[in-house]
Amino acid sequence: MKKRKRKGEAWTIVPLYLFTLLFVAGPIIYMVVLSFMTRAQTWGVVPEFTLKNYQDIGEPVYLKTFWESLKLGMLSTVLVTALGYPFGYFMAKLTAKWKKRTMMLLMIPFWTSSLIRLYGWIIIFRTGGVLDSLLSALHITEEPLKLLYTYPAVVVGMVYALLPFMIFSVYSSAEKLDFSLVEAARDLGASPMKAFLTVSLKLTLPGLLSGVVLTFVPSMGLFFIADILGGNKVVLVGNLIQEQLMKAHNWPFAAALSVALLVLTTVVIWLYRKLSGVKELEGLV
Amino acid sequence: MKKLLCLLLAVLLTGALLAGCSQGGGSSQLNLYTWEGMFPQEVLDGFTEETGIKINYVNFDTDETMLSKLETAEGGDYDVVIADDYIIETAIEEGLVEKLDLSKLANHKSINPLYQGQFYDPSDEYTVPYGSGVQTIVYDPSRVDIQITGYEDLWDESLKGSVGLIGSTRVIDGMALKVLGESYNTEDLGKIGAAGEKLLELAPNIRLIKDDNLQDDLISGEVSAAVMYTSQVTMAKIANPELEVVYPKEGIGFGVMAQFIPVKAPNKEAAYKFIDYILKPEVSAKCYEYMGYYCTNSDADSLISEEFRSFLTLPESFHKEDMEMIENISPEAVEEHMKIWNEFKAACE
Repeated sequence: MKKRKRKGEAWTIVPLYLFTLLFVAGPIIYMVVLSFMTRAQTWGVVPEFTLKNYQDIGEPVYLKTFWESLKLGMLSTVLVTALGYPFGYFMAKLTAKWKKRTMMLLMIPFWTSSLIRLYGWIIIFRTGGVLDSLLSALHITEEPLKLLYTYPAVVVGMVYALLPFMIFSVYSSAEKLDFSLVEAARDLGASPMKAFLTVSLKLTLPGLLSGVVLTFVPSMGLFFIADILGGNKVVLVGNLIQEQLMKAHNWPFAAALSVALLVLTTVVIWLYRKLSGVKELEGLV
Repeated sequence: MKKLLCLLLAVLLTGALLAGCSQGGGSSQLNLYTWEGMFPQEVLDGFTEETGIKINYVNFDTDETMLSKLETAEGGDYDVVIADDYIIETAIEEGLVEKLDLSKLANHKSINPLYQGQFYDPSDEYTVPYGSGVQTIVYDPSRVDIQITGYEDLWDESLKGSVGLIGSTRVIDGMALKVLGESYNTEDLGKIGAAGEKLLELAPNIRLIKDDNLQDDLISGEVSAAVMYTSQVTMAKIANPELEVVYPKEGIGFGVMAQFIPVKAPNKEAAYKFIDYILKPEVSAKCYEYMGYYCTNSDADSLISEEFRSFLTLPESFHKEDMEMIENISPEAVEEHMKIWNEFKAACE
């Protein structure tokens, strides 16, 4: 009887394995293989082994792109954490009714395409746009502002797009937190700060970490934000990959860049896990 | 009962499928394969009215999609294809394009010779041009202190942070090549590198680089001068007739969209009729006004209404020597172009 049940269980998992194999492992293998091939004269790929694509990544201009992406990714992650962690933490302390309402407010924007929401930012940022008119009406600024197509505009876009992921991760971790433990620490003489650092923060760390992963990893590849809000002046690895695929028709080089990006993000996450000492990720594993 | 219903449904569906198939190959239908929005409906309806041939308009997004579909169909499925010059060169090399029988095209003589004999079809055996993109500079005289006459003026200090560019690598890199007096199509890596250096000096003037709807930024005042696609120039001029369109003194870069008949086109007779119909000057003129691309039909030039003529037809003073097409170049040269392009973009912050 027991054996049969297990067999049944195994069968229910098969689709999941197949899915993973087909749509996760498959494309990655394809990408890695492609990255060692030679580009054809016009476009397409010739199955000839080469290391040239990886050597090309070493060009200063492309290395700089990786550095820029890393910088922007980290900056966005730090800002998202600074805004999202307190939000998620205090959201978990709300009454059930308000939790539901806040959750709703966070979810509603997801009903619209993220691209359309980004175009909303253009309306806010552009010269003579909402923000510009407001500031000049309040006599804070004299001249029309150039806010759109700047680095800060890209950072705002990144933070906006990624903030919900941090909030949800921290929230799901903080919701499980037993606040009586914090009270106990306070009763035993810990200062609010110390109680937070030794009890709350420690226990919500898995949520924070998964939030960081969910923020940092996509931030390296969100090329359309740099396109739309940055006027293409901030070149990220994502932009480079897209351009090599669509414009230069150099698929092998695009694949090599993607593999390098994959390795880079894996290393950064591994480092982060090592340093923070967290073994499990909230909701991710 | 349920089984019977299923069977019935299956039969019905198969029937529908077959019906769908037979529709595709009918002798009174023309399969037209091109981008969306290339013809005004009135022109398409006019063709059906005149010849009784129905038009099955099929879209593609990019030239590359078109080529791979045509490769799969081995030059079949479609009767008339309209695409860009460089991809047609490849399609001809691959033997996918039918040699034209010019005796079936009574209006062939209307084609503007400026656009003939180009690299993708040097003896005009395979294609008939259907519009051209001409590289110009557009600026708002009310917000620019200098008079712009060529690409070199975009480097002027007074334009700091106020120039918009399209994201077309070859066009923008080519701008710097032109300022240095070189060809768009040089494969000399040293010359491309020098153009890269020149572009870095332009960086402080760049406000943004983007492909989609750059005209909006010129109209709204986000930028005061721009290098854009022809269709965008047309939209900008319609929105604000005060804008100046400049033919750069360094020379004109241009591209051609051309029509061709695939080798195994199911309905070649219809294809010839269609191409000839579109070549009629009065039909052509309507198409150009609708599309917003430069007119490649000499006899249609004078029929284009006054408000569009100045930016849909080239001034008469133009000669073939002043113009150069962007052609396919070696992969090494393309790589060098991508490199200087990325350095330039990164320098624009």
